Amino acid sequence: MTVSRRSFIQSAGFSLAGLSMKSESKIAGGFVNESFQQGHLLRDRAAFPATRRIEKTQIVIVGGGIAGLSAAWRLQKRGFHDFILLEMCDQAGGNSRWGENDITAYPWAAHYVPVPGRKAVYVRELFEDLGVLRDGKWEERYLCFTPQERLFLYGRWQEGIEPAVGLTQKDRDQLRRFEDQIHAFRATGKFTVPMEVGLSEDTESLDRISFADWLREERMDSRIFNWYMNYCCRDDYGAMTDQTSAWAGIQYFASREPEEKGPLTWPEGNGWIVRRLLERMGSFVRTGQMVHKIVRSGRGVRVFAGDTGYDAAFVIFAAPTFLAPYLIDGLAPLRTFEYSPWLTANLTLDHLPKNYGIDPTWDTVFMESPTLGYVDAMHQTLRTHVDRTVWTFYWALAAGSPSQNRRSLLSTDWNYWKEAILHDLERVHLDIRQCVSRIDIMRMGHAMARPTVGSIFSSERRNLARPQDPILFANSDLSGFSIFEEAQYRGVVAAEHALHRLSYISRPEQFSRLRDAESAK
Amino acid sequence: MGILLFITVLLIAACGLIYELVAGTLASYLLGDSVLQFSTIIGCYLFAMGIGSALSRYIDRGLAYRFVWIELLLGVVGGFSSALLFLAFAYSQGFQFLMYALVIVIGVLVGLEIPLLMRIIRDRYRFRDVVAHVLTFDYLGALGASLLFPILLVPHLGLVRSAMLFGILNAGVALWSTFIFANQLARTAVLRIFCITVLAALCVGLAEAKRITQAAEDNIYADEIIFARDTHYQHIVLTRFKDDIRLFLNSHLQFSSRDEYRYHEALIHPGLSAVPAPRRVLVLGGGDGLAVREILKYPQVESVTLVDLDPEMTRLFSTNPMLTGLNQKSFLSPKVHVINADAFPWVDSNADSFDFIVIDFPDPTNYSLGKLYTTAFYRAVARHLSEQGLMVVQSTSPMFARDSYWCIAETIKRSGMMISPYHVYVPSFGEWGFVLAGHHEYRTPATLPNGLRFIDLKGVPALFQFPPDMAPLSMPPNRLNDQVLVHLYDKDWKDISH
Repeated sequence: MTVSRRSFIQSAGFSLAGLSMKSESKIAGGFVNESFQQGHLLRDRAAFPATRRIEKTQIVIVGGGIAGLSAAWRLQKRGFHDFILLEMCDQAGGNSRWGENDITAYPWAAHYVPVPGRKAVYVRELFEDLGVLRDGKWEERYLCFTPQERLFLYGRWQEGIEPAVGLTQKDRDQLRRFEDQIHAFRATGKFTVPMEVGLSEDTESLDRISFADWLREERMDSRIFNWYMNYCCRDDYGAMTDQTSAWAGIQYFASREPEEKGPLTWPEGNGWIVRRLLERMGSFVRTGQMVHKIVRSGRGVRVFAGDTGYDAAFVIFAAPTFLAPYLIDGLAPLRTFEYSPWLTANLTLDHLPKNYGIDPTWDTVFMESPTLGYVDAMHQTLRTHVDRTVWTFYWALAAGSPSQNRRSLLSTDWNYWKEAILHDLERVHLDIRQCVSRIDIMRMGHAMARPTVGSIFSSERRNLARPQDPILFANSDLSGFSIFEEAQYRGVVAAEHALHRLSYISRPEQFSRLRDAESAK
Repeated sequence: MGILLFITVLLIAACGLIYELVAGTLASYLLGDSVLQFSTIIGCYLFAMGIGSALSRYIDRGLAYRFVWIELLLGVVGGFSSALLFLAFAYSQGFQFLMYALVIVIGVLVGLEIPLLMRIIRDRYRFRDVVAHVLTFDYLGALGASLLFPILLVPHLGLVRSAMLFGILNAGVALWSTFIFANQLARTAVLRIFCITVLAALCVGLAEAKRITQAAEDNIYADEIIFARDTHYQHIVLTRFKDDIRLFLNSHLQFSSRDEYRYHEALIHPGLSAVPAPRRVLVLGGGDGLAVREILKYPQVESVTLVDLDPEMTRLFSTNPMLTGLNQKSFLSPKVHVINADAFPWVDSNADSFDFIVIDFPDPTNYSLGKLYTTAFYRAVARHLSEQGLMVVQSTSPMFARDSYWCIAETIKRSGMMISPYHVYVPSFGEWGFVLAGHHEYRTPATLPNGLRFIDLKGVPALFQFPPDMAPLSMPPNRLNDQVLVHLYDKDWKDISH
């Protein structure tokens, strides 16, 4: 009896407090991790400091995202130590950067890796090194906990993101036919992770039309189906289906065959992987070092960062490839590389909002929202009781032209985006303003490569992806899209190639290993 | 005029007795031992009435004025006494002190009433009529109250509202006294405002108490709720029916004091007795201290570490006299170390080794609790188990939730241990299941501690036999990334309730 009285008094108190809070929300925050100002210095050909020192090293890795760190991981693993990694930002990690507050660590962008299939040899090797894969078994605590995903549609929740409630016969038909098609594409072995392993001229025709056109041709155009396809393209490519190559749309679905219920994820997202890598080879990493010029010299190359010039035999260029023409003397402007602007936000929640009949999940998506929903950083906690958390909110500015979206992203203030995010969350979480105490927002003008029509089979992409001494390109955008496995693959391959050319190893391992994986299939 | 006066006497007598009965009943409910409670409360109350009567001689002016004030005070103190005592039991250590203090205050006030009233009206009647009438109606009122209380008030109104109702009567008497003694009072308007204020407060209390008791009646508890609290982590409720105390956490029955010995003896002894020379024991969950009570029956056990999430729970079972009576003050033993922490992170970060580990969590009703029934969790726990050690897991009912039970068994097995599932019958739960696990094959114990009421050496092997309706089923293991158990559990219990 006493408790009912108490809870009555408490609820009365809360509702009064709620009224006063509703009138004025005190949500702190601002823009964080901005790096476009530095990028614009390159674009605008600003003056950089004169060179005062010259350092010699065999290999310079430019860019400390997953591609650069993977190259470093590979070099170190081979016992090679004569290299350095230069990172423009104060924190390494690139799209796998993370943050931390008194509640939890949380991601700033990439937040999971699908459980790698057999062909992702290097990813599996990395995960064996990091204790994620042991004796062929995936470590349970790094796999996404149940319940994984939920979708809010028609004013209710469902488990999973693929729409499953309120489907018409037509929707069901199209989903089933799509699955059959994907199954057939998967069986060809031409859609793989990494993409380079299976890439075949047989599939080039798919790169000549947009995913939207392909779906229309295949009569898969129901409203629900379209929403789902657009959601997937926005999620992985930051683009809508009509701006995505059909090849890339099919790749999203046909390239993976999960061997375990996943994905792999951590509170700080892929930042966890970056942390483990930095623990192993942080001493090679120099942050806050913006490379402003790369010139070929004699048989090698000289890299300028700040007032230091680095004389090296090889450069592994792991920074986004669109920066290359601004840095590398004599490189022609790029024609086919396009990037999507993104916005991510980390929301600190001092209370959990009401859940309306469903357990909180790792990933939450709202149908008919322009955003991608949010991921709960506390989902991977081992605790049974959680009362505060951090949500990472994702918003790919997918519709319309990227350059226009970039301009509007950079010309609007924090308050505008804060309100836009809260409005979006209020579709479902009516009490969100009473729960959130802080919203930090990260704007990225060139967040992810867009696999536009023709980009996969473009000669420009394939030329840059081919190792050409002494500058080896390694960013994931050379695959046409930005995902962890592609970045890791390209970093490792570049490292292997450089070691081979330096006669440090007799032959690069990847070709034989990948062929073995091919024939094992 | 005369009859009104004597009805006043009847009412105030009834009020006085009701407060006394409320206190006695509450104390019996909450503390048990009704003979002791009623005897001491009646004794204190009568003694305090004597003090009141004795004090009445020091009042010589303004008799009617003071009478009105005494009635008002009685209305407030008596009316809220029951609610105050419930709150004190729930939120403080000072229940008994407050109870006797209230009984004495009420007794003194009631002791003042009759002598004052007699003196107020002595000029209107002959002395022998005053005494005869006042005492007649006094005893009549007492009879009425003593019959009303068990037959109507407790069953239909409950203790909180009964006290409030009679508080209202007391305050009503005060108000109407301002009219019948108007000629002996000055500033009656002010007095009446006070009376109406007190009446209003009590009416609000009565209405509020009604809401609260209705909520209590709507829920599942068949018996009188003697304690209820929302802690940071859970909703704790204790009920009592005669000598049966039941603990509910988030509406799930945890034990009934009548048969919990069956559950806790079965949880501890088949395993702990089979461990050679057990010195260090870990209990995960079990904040009621009942499992620890059984563990302390082994003198060779040097330390018991208990990890329970909820500090309120372990505090309650360390301090509340009724509950420490149940667990025999097990938490006060110097061997016992209580740690309030979330079990999985604690297990994950601690490095100690234990000879016997008891895992006694609430059933896997949601994904949060489900984490404590996964291969990842059992693997983490197994790292703490000494070479010859054993662990035992409360694993829900193999009868009512057969899929869930065998899923838990499979999960423990997949974490790399040898398992021995067993079950017992606990009347308040039904058939209940446990799983013993260790690095080696389990062998039934050769000896048991003295004084067990349920487990004996002859009966132990039979616990490991499962009849066909509870026989093993092939189930997938429960994993962090694929919590099948929560779905199975939900389905199992839904099937039963339909």
